[in-house]
Amino acid sequence: MVNDGPIEADAVVIGAGPVGLFQVFELGLLEIKCHVIDALPFPGGQPAELYPDKPIYDIPAIPVCTGQELVNNLLKQIEPFGATFHLGQEVNAVEQQGDGRFFVSTSRGTRFLTKTLFIAAGVGAFQPRALKLDGIEAFDEKHLFYRVSSSDAWAGRNIVIVGGGDTALEWAATLSTQGPTKAARVTLIHRRDAFQAAPANVARMRDLCERNELRFMVGQPTGFESEGDRLTGLQVTDPQAQTHSVPLDVLLVFLGLSPKLGPIAQWGLDIERKQLVVDTEKFSTSVPGIFAVGDINTYPGKKKLILSGFHEATLAAFGAAPIVFPDKKVMLQYTTTSTQLHRVLGVAPAALD
Amino acid sequence: MTHVVTEACIRCKYTDCVDVCPVDCFREGPNFLTIDPDECIDCAVCIPECPVSAIYAEEDLPKDQLHMTQLNADLAQLPGWKSITKRKAPLPDADDWKDRTGKLPELLR
Repeated sequence: MVNDGPIEADAVVIGAGPVGLFQVFELGLLEIKCHVIDALPFPGGQPAELYPDKPIYDIPAIPVCTGQELVNNLLKQIEPFGATFHLGQEVNAVEQQGDGRFFVSTSRGTRFLTKTLFIAAGVGAFQPRALKLDGIEAFDEKHLFYRVSSSDAWAGRNIVIVGGGDTALEWAATLSTQGPTKAARVTLIHRRDAFQAAPANVARMRDLCERNELRFMVGQPTGFESEGDRLTGLQVTDPQAQTHSVPLDVLLVFLGLSPKLGPIAQWGLDIERKQLVVDTEKFSTSVPGIFAVGDINTYPGKKKLILSGFHEATLAAFGAAPIVFPDKKVMLQYTTTSTQLHRVLGVAPAALD
Repeated sequence: MTHVVTEACIRCKYTDCVDVCPVDCFREGPNFLTIDPDECIDCAVCIPECPVSAIYAEEDLPKDQLHMTQLNADLAQLPGWKSITKRKAPLPDADDWKDRTGKLPELLR
């Protein structure tokens, strides 16, 4: 793709959790188009990653919904506004330009020049949990991988997979099943003989073990072996405190994701206890044009609730409108009656009785 | 507000919580982990990680654990209590202690 310069935008939203998604909605009603950035490869943030199946009871007018249902409904709600999503990337720089706009760049090299910026980054960017063995990070992206995009590279190799969730089981099955991606040998290691995974994935894994296509070990990685700059083996301690050496060519680790609050401290914004200080009129940070909504902000009386984030996003959108449209008077309108809002929502006006 | 580690952690120290803390606010003592209230951002991500359910939001603390808010703050200030950001093996007899109550006299500073 040829990309000559940064994407010029009216609004960039950092974080595709529920509050970031609702920010898109409120900006959309004011006819402000958004680009949305998130570290996860899918939208939804904490509810999608941490508790997709858990019921939420305090969303107004929705007596109960799961985390994933909430996300799905928000995605449906923002459909009319055509936001562009930039997923699987983290923001690593925010710099204000001479013309007042903000230059934003991501870990994948996507660059924006935006009039307004909405930080809805929650408790940080979700990142794979690393294997906690001192020194093993030297093999990151060489023989040790926390994310996998293609399985072709490892056909015929000796693979060790650590983890007990769906991702670990799916890759164990893919790489040990007959076909062009089949590895020479696949060993799955998990700390116990029980899995937090879909029953179908567990059944498939058990079946492959019975047919000796896949080897499963219960234990914890406690050390590693290397020769020169090659990772050659993992030491695994079993529940009987016996340590086994497991030779390998490639180590895949799927221990789930956890959030890390990234470099927001370096963006020149006022911070209190690692959270962005905002006013409660516009939810503006100390830099006009940069708003902070949801779990990442702090103000007197702040409550970290999704519903509070929805309110914050609404006022932030109204706070941003004069920056995006300096010559336009922005009026509060109701979706029940406004023909202008019906037009932007793409719905037919209510029939007159 | 902050989150608070309660007595259930004493003599167990499973450390699952430290892996998920986005701001690295856990401090480690000889047989207990504490949360530094000046660092905790109340994200609650650590709560479900603890295998013995030792962590509570301050507002949710059981009545018999209210003293732990101040104790967490005090322990976090002790010079020997360093930041812990990587999970490690629990104490060797953690499983024997995990279901016991009234463990406060066992706390080592």
